[in-house]
Amino acid sequence: MIPSVPAVLMDLAGKVAANAAPHVNPVDRASALGLSALLMGLAAENWDSAAHHLVMENRAFRTLLARGAAYAPPPAEHAEDDFRLSALAAENGRLRAALITLQTAVEGRDEAMNDAIWAELRASTERRKTQGSAV
Amino acid sequence: MPEATDVAVRDLSRISGGASRETYRFVASWTQGGQARERKLILRRDPPASLIDTERRIEFEAYRAFHGTSVPAPEMLWLEEGDGPLDHPFFIAEEIVGFQAGPGLLWADPYLDTHARLAERKWTILGEIAKADPVANGLAAVMPAVAAGDCWNRELTYWEGVLNDDEAEPLPIIRAAIRWLRANPPPPAQKVGVVHGDYRTGNFLYDTEGQIHGILDWEMAHLGDPLEDLGWSLNPIWTFGRGLAGGLVPQDQAVAIWERASGLTADPAALHWWTLFNCVKGQAIWVSSARAWLDGGNREPIMVYPAWAMTNAQDRAALQVMGRL
Repeated sequence: MIPSVPAVLMDLAGKVAANAAPHVNPVDRASALGLSALLMGLAAENWDSAAHHLVMENRAFRTLLARGAAYAPPPAEHAEDDFRLSALAAENGRLRAALITLQTAVEGRDEAMNDAIWAELRASTERRKTQGSAV
Repeated sequence: MPEATDVAVRDLSRISGGASRETYRFVASWTQGGQARERKLILRRDPPASLIDTERRIEFEAYRAFHGTSVPAPEMLWLEEGDGPLDHPFFIAEEIVGFQAGPGLLWADPYLDTHARLAERKWTILGEIAKADPVANGLAAVMPAVAAGDCWNRELTYWEGVLNDDEAEPLPIIRAAIRWLRANPPPPAQKVGVVHGDYRTGNFLYDTEGQIHGILDWEMAHLGDPLEDLGWSLNPIWTFGRGLAGGLVPQDQAVAIWERASGLTADPAALHWWTLFNCVKGQAIWVSSARAWLDGGNREPIMVYPAWAMTNAQDRAALQVMGRL
């Protein structure tokens, strides 16, 4: 999730505290707190599974990139020994960029490979899907 | 109002939502010709940083061009493009009172029975916008011109540029969609018309009878292919999880209403192109929302909501339009 959950929660904490002051306009307070609650709900929904999903996705992307090495050299090996969400997300971004390069290279040349990439991209959106998702 | 005296503002309150402009309602009172008067008004002010960058004069003129026509739009009163009076540019308009805009209310009584009528009005009005002559209504004089054959390329290039500038993580699905769009361009526009730019459920004022009383949020209005607006209204992100166009009716029904009202044809292949394009545009907007927050230009919670709640859903919408979901 971008912006990152800790950064947003830190900001929301300040907003909630500010809205606890008695002089705040009730309409403004309702608006700020309502949106803050919505965001906290989204953060809560994703909290438990966030690291698991990133690890799964990074593994799947590495497998695809290795399989497509003939079309685009995979990025350098990266020891997955830092399991903080920020580190996993940074690695995820690196692999996603490489996947774009690979898919661009295989389109029209290797449909089986292209289909495998689409399958993983679809699976990625299934993992990231939230309860109230419009699609 | 040079003859007004005792001008005063009261009951100023911010309307929640509105990530591209700060919106406030207030009551203005004044004395004119010895008589006390008052009017409910809306103030729309640019925020410090927005999820879309637009010219408020074009927005102002778009409202003004359609006010009093078959396209319901609030009356525009004043435009201030300088930063002096209120720190950021703003305009003031009449408040159309007594109706709803938020889509959430539509999925419960007393609105459930109004969906067919509301859809008829929604896509009829969009057809009226498509039918409007931008030379006759003056908008061709303030909006940048575009050739019929270049509408698609201008819009795609612009929004791809926004993604290039603002994305905080690579977006493989949207990048694949852009490659497909460039490889399979649509035919030239049947006409170059006024494109509202954000025509969707949630951007109009509705009542319990299925009537529409005001089309809002013209900040992305421009000249272009009218199919662009139809495609935005059919972006799956605006189905609200109901599997219906705009959450209201099946897509073919919406398209038929629009064709009847506009007198234009929605070629299926061209409409598919514009619907997928609008998935790219949508993602660019959500990404810009995150960027405005990340760069510290706007730390309002409303800037985080699209980034968190819409980004993955927009990816899924693109997959759906491409037949990959």
